[in-house]
Amino acid sequence: MIAISIPLEHVLVLAAVLFLLGATGVLVRRNVIFQLMSLEIMMNACGLAFIAGGARWGAPDGQIMYMLVLSLAAAEVAVGLGLVLQLERRFGHLDIDQASELNG
Amino acid sequence: MEIVLFYIAGAVTISATCLVVTRLDASHALVYLIVSLLAVAVIFYLLGAPFAAALEVVIYAGAIMVLFVFVVMMLNQGRRGVAQERGILQPRMWIGPGVLSGVLLLEMIYLIASQTATTAAVVVPPRQVGIALFGPYLLAVELASILLLAALIGAFHFGRRYMRDRREGAE
Amino acid sequence: MNLDLLWIVSAAPLAGSLALLVTEGRLPKAWVAAIGAGSIGLSAGVALLVGIAFYDAGQVAYAQTLWTWIDVDGFTPRITLQLDGLSLVMMGVVTGVGFLIHVYATGYMAREDGYSRFFAYMNLFVFAMLMLVLGDNLLLLYLGWEGVGLCSYLLIGFYHLDPANGYAARKAFVVTRVGDVAMALGLFLLYREFGTLEISAILDNARTVWSNGSPICTLAAMLLLGGAVGKSAQIPLQTWLPDAMAGPTPVSALIHAATMVTAGVYLIARMHTLYVLAPMAQLAVAVVGAATLFIAAVSALAQRDIKRIPAYSTMSQIGYMFMALGVGAWSAAIFHLVTHAFFKALLFLAAGSVIVALHHEQNIYRMGGLWRRLPIPFACMLIGSAALSALPLTSGFYSKDEILLTSFAFGASGPWFWAIGSAAALLTALYTMRMIVVVFFGEQRTQTHGHDGLNMTVPQLVLAVLAIGGGWFGLAPVGAVLPDGGLGSHHGGVLAGITMSVPVVGVVVGWLVFTHRDRWAGLRETRVGERVRYFLASGCGFDAVYDVLIVRPFVALARANRNDVVDAVFAAIAALSRALYRALAATQTGHLRWYAVNMALGLALMLLLAIGA
Repeated sequence: MIAISIPLEHVLVLAAVLFLLGATGVLVRRNVIFQLMSLEIMMNACGLAFIAGGARWGAPDGQIMYMLVLSLAAAEVAVGLGLVLQLERRFGHLDIDQASELNG
Repeated sequence: MEIVLFYIAGAVTISATCLVVTRLDASHALVYLIVSLLAVAVIFYLLGAPFAAALEVVIYAGAIMVLFVFVVMMLNQGRRGVAQERGILQPRMWIGPGVLSGVLLLEMIYLIASQTATTAAVVVPPRQVGIALFGPYLLAVELASILLLAALIGAFHFGRRYMRDRREGAE
Repeated sequence: MNLDLLWIVSAAPLAGSLALLVTEGRLPKAWVAAIGAGSIGLSAGVALLVGIAFYDAGQVAYAQTLWTWIDVDGFTPRITLQLDGLSLVMMGVVTGVGFLIHVYATGYMAREDGYSRFFAYMNLFVFAMLMLVLGDNLLLLYLGWEGVGLCSYLLIGFYHLDPANGYAARKAFVVTRVGDVAMALGLFLLYREFGTLEISAILDNARTVWSNGSPICTLAAMLLLGGAVGKSAQIPLQTWLPDAMAGPTPVSALIHAATMVTAGVYLIARMHTLYVLAPMAQLAVAVVGAATLFIAAVSALAQRDIKRIPAYSTMSQIGYMFMALGVGAWSAAIFHLVTHAFFKALLFLAAGSVIVALHHEQNIYRMGGLWRRLPIPFACMLIGSAALSALPLTSGFYSKDEILLTSFAFGASGPWFWAIGSAAALLTALYTMRMIVVVFFGEQRTQTHGHDGLNMTVPQLVLAVLAIGGGWFGLAPVGAVLPDGGLGSHHGGVLAGITMSVPVVGVVVGWLVFTHRDRWAGLRETRVGERVRYFLASGCGFDAVYDVLIVRPFVALARANRNDVVDAVFAAIAALSRALYRALAATQTGHLRWYAVNMALGLALMLLLAIGA
């Protein structure tokens, strides 16, 4: 097991880039599956930021936070995919722009 | 010298993520996502968090992504889905969000770059993580388990309805 | 001891009024009459006892404090009833004449709806008038002032089902309101100068605080004059009184002849020190009085309604009282107030008998030849008219001649006042003769019905006696209060002779002219004659002037503001609220990606702020 010292800004910038790529995916894609995937990318980026923070101090706290983010992502994916199935059932397509009845 | 490993892994991650967001076929995008996650696992390992790296591979790439794959296969969009996506996804839709993300990126880089620090080159073994989990973060663990229970019940409910609707639709 | 009963004088009418208001017409008529007239009778009786006690105590001013009304930051007006010569005289007139009129009204109003309501309002009026004359501070006086104004409104519009009566009542209220505002301003000014509204304190301190001719004193006196002008129907606020005859005749007798309209005279007489210190204001009082007495007398000549003739006559006689106050004949003014109450009330009551007998016919040209059918009203009207014209030895003669002779002696302009007063006395005789001749002589044009009961006849007879003999004893009590120390004795000389003979001449001329009035018909029916008659009958055009100057611009403004500019502000607030709602609702599109974009934008803005900070 190795550990190297990396400038923290670089790791955080990487996390930021991944986060924003995920955000762009959420904003652009209309297919629900792709949006969920983009959300996963964003959460993964957050996890990376936490690990980087933990590594800065050499403490386990970063990894623990990462585990909590992971369980959150799992829970969200489970329920979200269930919703996707229902969406497909009722509307016949996966376009989220068509599902906009909750307006006004 | 080993820092080059980090940059390589980072490049892989970014390019894989870019590809995820721009694919038309859902299955392709999922595979690229898995690649991205594996690259991130390498970075975790380099940062001295082997346990997190393992979790990333086993749970994130191994369970969550597999779940995605199952659902995509169930929905069975296929070629029709690809054609639909091609129709929907036009290049000019990338301009607005791209600009917005670019601005955000610049802001974030500005904020991040004002600090200077380096990661401590210390391996945090799983043993240490375990002790911290059952020590100060006990409550968080319990809360996470309740969250997962709630998600379990929700997914079960949705799935049951889906199966029922499907059976009725088939008849 | 008896002086302590003073509070009963004003409490009895109030109790009567409240009792009748509370029972709202559920009592039988006999009870209502008993309570309504009885409370004033009780008041009059106690007033008599108090008067006797006052004399026995040597005519020392007496004040009875009931309780403290307001106690704020050094301003503590009390409910205090003060009794001195002036208020004793006023109290006597109000309760005495009031009682007689109430008894008359029990008969006159017997066939009308709202019997109980009528007496409730009348009693309330008497209470308010008593507070006005018995109050020892200007705030209590103002309470009574406003109270009589309210009751006047209620009683003028008594026959409320006819909208014209409502208009007349509102006209009276609004016009007197203008005067009331001036009076309120005067009260504010007095309070600012003296820190109290107690009359005795103000009058005592006025000499030390203000020098002779002080501008603030003049201003305060003029403002109070404004209030008096409104209440007493003098020029320029006199237009309401002829229209006030829309009320029942007892109301006209009590309120618009004997008591309320004399409140202005009482106010000026009570605040005499202010006017002595402000000669310009006192001159204004005299001028107002002189102008009104003449214009009203001229207008009375052209009236056709049997109630409007005495109405204009009242205006004219109060003009005499104002002129008397203006020339310094204070006691003469109050004396005339008392005698006028007697004979004017008598005239109104007699006119009421005539009206009732002719089934509410009020046009004198449809009457005629009634002296045989209605002997008692005829006799009473005759006596009342004699007193009004100031024929020798009647009560009116003593008071009016006192005024005229005193005004002659008033500096350089004295003879002018005398001349106007005498000319108007001639006119008074003329118009009263016109009324008598046209109503009671000649051929009878309308049939008479019915017969007056005792309750209508006896008050008229009592008032007739007073109208003749009321002036023989002078008016001693006032002398202790008013600066001129009582009535003078001017009963000799050429001037007195001329003054005495003017009304006699007028009566003779009037008799001759109006019994042969058909000969003058040609003159009356020319175009000029018609125009003159119309002009005089309308009260010399004041209504038309006010209509053009005040009413029309105001109505035009109200019409321009039909959509209520102020309301538009509030409507704008509501419209703004709704516009904001629509704007916000537009952001809820239902598109998930739109919300995500907004979140990203928000994040960008926050990071920008974080960088900026």
